[in-house]
Amino acid sequence: MKRLWLDNGDLGVFFKSSGPHERWQDHGLGLLRTILRDGGVETDLFSLRSLTSWSDLPARLEGYDILIMNVRSYTYPFAYKAAQSFKQVNPKSWVIVGGMHATVAPDEMEAIQEFDRICQGPGENVIVDLLKDPAAFPRLVMGVGAKSMSGWPMMDRTLWPNPNLPDFPWPLEPECGWDPGPVATLLTSRVCPWQCVFCNESSYIPNMGRKSVDQTIDELNYLDDHFGPLGSVVIHDSMFFQHPSWLKEWLDKYPRRAHKPWPYWAAGRTDTVRQWPDLFEALVRETNWTTISLGFESGSDRVLKILNKECTAEDNDFAIDLVNRIGDDLERQGKQVPKLWANIMLGIPGETREDAFDTIRMLRRMKHVLPSIAYYAPYPGSALGYQLIAEGKSRMTKENYHRYPSDEKVKGIDYPFYNALLKGKYDSEVNKELPAWARPKGRVRRLFDRLVRA
Amino acid sequence: MSSFNNPHYFYLFAMTNGKKKIAYGSSPQDAYESLRLRLTEQEMANIVKDQFTRIAQRELQAHVHELG
Repeated sequence: MKRLWLDNGDLGVFFKSSGPHERWQDHGLGLLRTILRDGGVETDLFSLRSLTSWSDLPARLEGYDILIMNVRSYTYPFAYKAAQSFKQVNPKSWVIVGGMHATVAPDEMEAIQEFDRICQGPGENVIVDLLKDPAAFPRLVMGVGAKSMSGWPMMDRTLWPNPNLPDFPWPLEPECGWDPGPVATLLTSRVCPWQCVFCNESSYIPNMGRKSVDQTIDELNYLDDHFGPLGSVVIHDSMFFQHPSWLKEWLDKYPRRAHKPWPYWAAGRTDTVRQWPDLFEALVRETNWTTISLGFESGSDRVLKILNKECTAEDNDFAIDLVNRIGDDLERQGKQVPKLWANIMLGIPGETREDAFDTIRMLRRMKHVLPSIAYYAPYPGSALGYQLIAEGKSRMTKENYHRYPSDEKVKGIDYPFYNALLKGKYDSEVNKELPAWARPKGRVRRLFDRLVRA
Repeated sequence: MSSFNNPHYFYLFAMTNGKKKIAYGSSPQDAYESLRLRLTEQEMANIVKDQFTRIAQRELQAHVHELG
């Protein structure tokens, strides 16, 4: 049987200049193709991101018996279109899909007749058998995952698509504006256990053990030896700053055992920073945690409650003050200052204008910040997304999950107000509540330019 | 330090039209009041305050078709 794995993403981003996030490699694809290869199942690979036109796709798909795709909500429209194209050129074929959208919205997947097998949940312990004999499985396949990430093989990154671009250090990844390239992206943990209602990922993926610190460092050293020198690291975990015993071991070993303490990006929550401030500070200072992604979301307690963030504006302020203080101190010492990758959400149902002003004020109090701002998107799979869909308030449909940053996603939200807010039209209102040092001076970069796809 | 000293739970509240409304908070009362932050008085009037069940986050998908 001839099998093709199709990498999903925006057409053309492996050709033309594009944002770094559109060019991230897919860890699900890399891990599962490694497991397939080790299990004796060969797959060819093609990336939609290497296409310039949909009309060129059929020629790439012709002659295969099985198409495999990892489908996320925002790539669902692409997967649907690709499956239709595949069936047209290979009528007696199988289309096998899995991934997060198959997991959170199986109804939408089952409605597509071209999807012959739909794997819901983690696929690592079922994919070899599924691809060897899809007929032996029901249409909706319950995935089987490993108990611990330590049970995963080290992903073979040469199984990722190669864009063959001069600025793409495949199988490593290009620098993304935070720290130097080449970049190694990796996962040390899977699934955030908290219950924020814009996400709820732990509703779908069972808890699993974290990758060991030694295994993580060994992988980085291997990548440095074989494809390096590495410039920096991105730890893609939804929640890096959890499990204090793991973090203490990382604090002890990363500076000593890694070939170099490469600067890294990793994520946390502000209430965890407040719970373990000494551990947080030690990690920032001693392990080169230079880009600290925190899910602030809002500067308003009302909105944090709507989002079930289980953090307060006071937690957010605590984390901001701590990072500002560490940054000031390191700056005085002439050392690299850590930056806050501040995840901010606006356009949340129930948010008032004053709530939104509080959020921008919170952002202004961050001294070294990379704002990542998104308009709230009610994706199926999340509790609030499901509820808003049921209330008829979502503007998103399965045909347009692939949204652009400034698209209108929820009925009743005053998007022109938010666009104006981010373009600075309400700065006088925002700034009057700020201390003098936090008021922007000189020419201010418009926050509207920091709006990202939700 | 919210999630460490004030854990939240999910609740499904009955509605007068037979559907359910998902809410979340440290108690059923807190969850009900949280709904008021984003719903109109008219929408709140359709929720039966004293008829609710607590669900685990992992059970969320089983209740999606009940929501309204």
